[in-house]
Amino acid sequence: MRMLARRLFFYLVTAWAAITLNFILPRLMPGNPAQGLIERFNGRLSPGAVHAIEILFGQPHTSLLSQYFSYWGNMLTLNFGTSYAFYPSPVAQVIKQSIFWTLVLIGLCTIIGFVIGTLLGMFVGWRRGGWRDALVPMTTFLSSLPYFWFALMAILVFAVTLGWFPSSGGYGIGVEIGPTWPFISSAIYYGFLPALTVVVASVGGWLLGMRNMMITTLNEDYVLLAEAKGLSRLRVMFTYAGRNAVLPSVAGFAMSLGFVVGGAIVTEIVFNYPGIGTVLFQAAKGQDYPLLEAIFLTITIAVLLANLFADLAYIALDPRTREA
Amino acid sequence: MAEPVLEAVHITKHFPVHGGRQLQRRTVHAVEDASLALYPGTVTALVGESGSGKSTLARLLAGLHKRTSGEILLRGQPAGATRGRAFRRHVSDVQLILQDPYGSFNPMLKIATHLERAVRIHEPGLRGGALRARTGELLKQVHLLPAGQFGEKYPHELSGGQLQRVSIARGLAARPSVILADEPVSNLDVSIRLGVLNLLAELTTEQRVALLYVTHDVASARYFAADTAVMYAGQLIESGPSEQVISEPAHPYTRLLISSAPDPARAAGTGPAEDRGQPPSLITPPAGCRFHPRCPLAMPRCSEQAPPVFTLGGGHWTRCWLYSADNDNPDGNNPPGEPEGTQP
Amino acid sequence: MLTTADVAAAEAEELRQSRSWLRGLLVPKVLFGLAIVVFFLLLAFAGPLIDHTSPDTTSAAALRAPSLGHWLGTTQQGQDVLAQVIYGARISMEVGLGAGVLTTLWSVLVGLTGGYIAGVGSELLSMFSNVFLVLPSLPLVVILAAYLPNSGSTGVILVITATGWAWGARVLRAQTLSLRRRDFVEAARATGESSFKIMLYDILPNELAIIAATFLASVVGAILTEASIAFLGLSNVTQWSWGTILYWAQVSGAELARAWWWFVPPGLCIALVGTGLAFINFGIDDVINPRLRSAGPATLTRRDRLRLRLRSRPTAEGARTAADPAAPAEHDHGNERVPVLALRHLSVEYGGNQVPVRAVSDVTLTLHRGEVLGIAGESGSGKSTLARAVTRLLRPPASITGGEMIYTTRSGRQLDITGLSDAELRKFRWEEISIVFQSAMNALNPVLTLGAQMDDVLHAHRPQMKKVERAARTRELLQLVGISPDRAGAYPHELSGGMRQRAMIAMGLALDPEIIVMDEPTTALDVVIQRQVIETIGRLKDRLGFSVIFITHDLSLLIELCDTIAIMYAGQIVELAPAEQLYRHPQHPYSQGLLGSFPTLTGPRRTLTGVPGYPPDLRRRPPGCQFQPRCPQAFDACTEAIPLLTRREDADVACFLYDEATVGDNHG
Repeated sequence: MRMLARRLFFYLVTAWAAITLNFILPRLMPGNPAQGLIERFNGRLSPGAVHAIEILFGQPHTSLLSQYFSYWGNMLTLNFGTSYAFYPSPVAQVIKQSIFWTLVLIGLCTIIGFVIGTLLGMFVGWRRGGWRDALVPMTTFLSSLPYFWFALMAILVFAVTLGWFPSSGGYGIGVEIGPTWPFISSAIYYGFLPALTVVVASVGGWLLGMRNMMITTLNEDYVLLAEAKGLSRLRVMFTYAGRNAVLPSVAGFAMSLGFVVGGAIVTEIVFNYPGIGTVLFQAAKGQDYPLLEAIFLTITIAVLLANLFADLAYIALDPRTREA
Repeated sequence: MAEPVLEAVHITKHFPVHGGRQLQRRTVHAVEDASLALYPGTVTALVGESGSGKSTLARLLAGLHKRTSGEILLRGQPAGATRGRAFRRHVSDVQLILQDPYGSFNPMLKIATHLERAVRIHEPGLRGGALRARTGELLKQVHLLPAGQFGEKYPHELSGGQLQRVSIARGLAARPSVILADEPVSNLDVSIRLGVLNLLAELTTEQRVALLYVTHDVASARYFAADTAVMYAGQLIESGPSEQVISEPAHPYTRLLISSAPDPARAAGTGPAEDRGQPPSLITPPAGCRFHPRCPLAMPRCSEQAPPVFTLGGGHWTRCWLYSADNDNPDGNNPPGEPEGTQP
Repeated sequence: MLTTADVAAAEAEELRQSRSWLRGLLVPKVLFGLAIVVFFLLLAFAGPLIDHTSPDTTSAAALRAPSLGHWLGTTQQGQDVLAQVIYGARISMEVGLGAGVLTTLWSVLVGLTGGYIAGVGSELLSMFSNVFLVLPSLPLVVILAAYLPNSGSTGVILVITATGWAWGARVLRAQTLSLRRRDFVEAARATGESSFKIMLYDILPNELAIIAATFLASVVGAILTEASIAFLGLSNVTQWSWGTILYWAQVSGAELARAWWWFVPPGLCIALVGTGLAFINFGIDDVINPRLRSAGPATLTRRDRLRLRLRSRPTAEGARTAADPAAPAEHDHGNERVPVLALRHLSVEYGGNQVPVRAVSDVTLTLHRGEVLGIAGESGSGKSTLARAVTRLLRPPASITGGEMIYTTRSGRQLDITGLSDAELRKFRWEEISIVFQSAMNALNPVLTLGAQMDDVLHAHRPQMKKVERAARTRELLQLVGISPDRAGAYPHELSGGMRQRAMIAMGLALDPEIIVMDEPTTALDVVIQRQVIETIGRLKDRLGFSVIFITHDLSLLIELCDTIAIMYAGQIVELAPAEQLYRHPQHPYSQGLLGSFPTLTGPRRTLTGVPGYPPDLRRRPPGCQFQPRCPQAFDACTEAIPLLTRREDADVACFLYDEATVGDNHG
């Protein structure tokens, strides 16, 4: 519980840091992003909307501290301003529409990738020699390929050459969004290639990490004792070696998740998938600062929540973290 | 009796416990009210089990920990600084040798480099030929010859016994008056230990050094040290001439310790009665005498008041209510007999 | 006696071999990685000088597949892809290296400082790097790039550094923290060394490997990030880098037009450079963590498997003696001493890539039912290896190279343990022989409760036992060793050292084995707890009637505890005698020296000398008797042959002093 409290505190600090970073960045940049943005709207903003943008990006003639307070006021009321690239939608609405797609895609793929990678890593680390060791350079090579390259390859092979899957979009044209079977099946059909890309690209990292940890764990005395007890090979591999070897992967989930999220975002862009990645891309192209910063915050919060789950999982897996 | 060269007077050391529910600050009472004196040309043994505080006491004397209360006197003057010039002055007179020889040396530097670094701290002017001569002399003092050959090696290329001798040589670079040896032979092969102990004994006599020998092995304390002090749960509970403490132990814990140690010479069947429990937590130590929960001879008084020092003559003293003059115990000052048979 | 020339030559050789960390780096995988990286570096900086095609020139040959004129085909504008890849290498490598260097410098600063200083400052620095670690870097990169549009290499390098430094800082901080706690830092402080010098001499050199690894990883990350930034069109798209090529490819719909030659090469280049750097990193990793180098437990070399097949014999039903006529005769001393385990000429070698080292040489001894046999020895004696050999727990590169181990069941059937197949071995293990290790902290699975660990061995061997029966048996076993049964739900880290050791003994008794092998079971325990554990063992042995092989360096403990003691030196048994006799009248000079190394608690105080010289080096064995270099009673015959165990006065001694043939020479 002590560990959990510390982690919670840390996540709060990180969230605070992200919010503060969003506050500081535009005020550090050359030029005056706030004014520049307002001008680009060409007078289409209501006075309230103008005020919101100033609070977010820079108010002239006000002290930094009072700007900071107003900023927090906006944050807590989820007022992120008006989107430039998706005018006239408010930023919050744009995000709400796209976040669902991304959560499903990234959420599922991360878990699938983790499970597959870890299991494969366990098998590869258990027995060495022969073809298993050749797996290491292959996996290293695979995990050095950029995610978006995989996406391009996937499109080339499965969409264009074989024609099995569509090359862009999140669901079929004309299909209505809703909890109906036509929609769900369409979403799965369109989401298959992006999911495949993310899983294939991320598996390598999990695999290598687990393999190395497995090799180290197999030298531990308790594994030797498990063998001496005449336990079945499967039990030794899973319950004695595997369950201990997986702990660092779970603990290091935070770092790995950063990479996966980044890669998944770029994948969405390639597939024109209606998630937050595509929105981010359009925001970047249009220099839509309000949307950009809100996306950053959203993703940060999501990542922190995922880390929290990983921490809970770690506590469940490692009894040494639970104080009596 | 000569004057003590290094003395700990009522030293106490508490470590804060990090983390935990911040409602109460918890402390580890690692060393409590310990007084110990080291004399030139004499080996004093500090015996105890793990968690007894003996290593902490050695490090307090070496100036590596800041004491919570009490005094450290070097030749009668207050000492025991942990930083700055005062610390460096202290260290030029008091040197610490650690238990694990392989851990005590940076694996990437040669032996000669290690010794040169140590020499240059205390004799900063030495260079070149004079420096090499001095390191050669140190290696000679610990019988590692030819010195040139040993100097060129890396720590992992020497055996444990050889490396521990280098450790001693490094300590001697300061020309100290006190050497504190924390379990210097515990990590070495049994047949090598005596060589290193004999070396330490030789240095003690020849250079009139005061040696503190921290160990968990009572038999080696008897062999090697003139005086023995016994620590339990952070406190010194008995002290005196080694022969006397070991052949006529006064404190029940000392008796337990001695009777538990393997001794082939002892007639079979006179082992100790079944002991209850293990050393206490130092965060919440028992009230009164810290041994009383395990003591077969405990009296009601033992759980209420911590016993003071009772002298038993000949430099032998102990902290145990059994030796209080105003006891109801008719055996008074005599060591009580064996306890009645306890349940198996 | 070895001549001084031999010694000098051997020392020089050893010096060369042990300084082989550099050797450790020159392995194939590192060289392979280096080759790749060097190739791309050359490509980046010399390529444009060799191939004068410009990457920008358009032509009418649009979207052509690779041909002789254009080795990698053309883009939609007819530009030569190969030229773009070559030019692109320059920016990609430049940004990669530049960002790598900057990132590493910053990581080193934050990490090392955070690890070395103590207290609040360290915690703050750690929080600082952890925050940046968790913040998702790609969105941050996109934002930064959006605020600084079309920035050139410098801008990109700064963005990458700002978002990528945290991982290296965290790794370095952890490493510095662990180094700071190492004894040699404390020892340096105790000599009075200043903090700065400690950082410089002690901490920094030991960090070099990790810093190098961090640097290489940063370069890989930087190249990938640069590619992502360029791909998204956030940097200057007129500057050629591999990412920019991919940007143009995607914008022009190359994948839809099946123009694979446009986007496949840049991606492959990125991956190749990444792989090359990763391989160099693996090499560094192997040097730091040598465990990754040797094979795992489930791997047998072909040689080992061949050996096993040759020695494997079908286990016959009836009794079958495996008596070796050359072995010493059974010595029953007139009692009913039934042999339960007989080792005959057992040898164990450590193979691997270097010269094989014999850890156990030609060991012959017999354990009888109900007997407590002690094996005493120091480092290099081979006693632990023997314990692992008897229980068939040797891990590669160690393997049994000779001899046999004959086990006699209660019904009189004899089995050769060395020849058991995997399935037979699994049934045999723990039923007949169990083992108790030294460090119970490490020998118990930290993620399973005590009860679960006892339950699974019951479950594996007694499938017909029901769950309640297993639980009852677990409780019974815990009570046997004096642990309260309600501790069955406890995890190993919640128990004290003595309790863990007793729990291990309980586990060893689970299936009522005939033999329990105890490998230094009490060495890590305090002497008082040790006494409790020893008494428990004695009590249980009397009650349940198993035999014990007790392995330790503490000879005085063995004399109290054992019936028979074997003294091992350099892989051989040098003396085998009843405990009492060994204590009163040790015959072998090493036994005498070893006994004399233990100061006594009673009796007169005399000066003891132990055994002169140094522990044996199994890689450089002296000729003849292995103890001879240190033996105060050595004579000529000792260097000519290895003495065998011979019977003398109720004990077995391997020493020419007692050999009739040579005794005459000695007194000659």
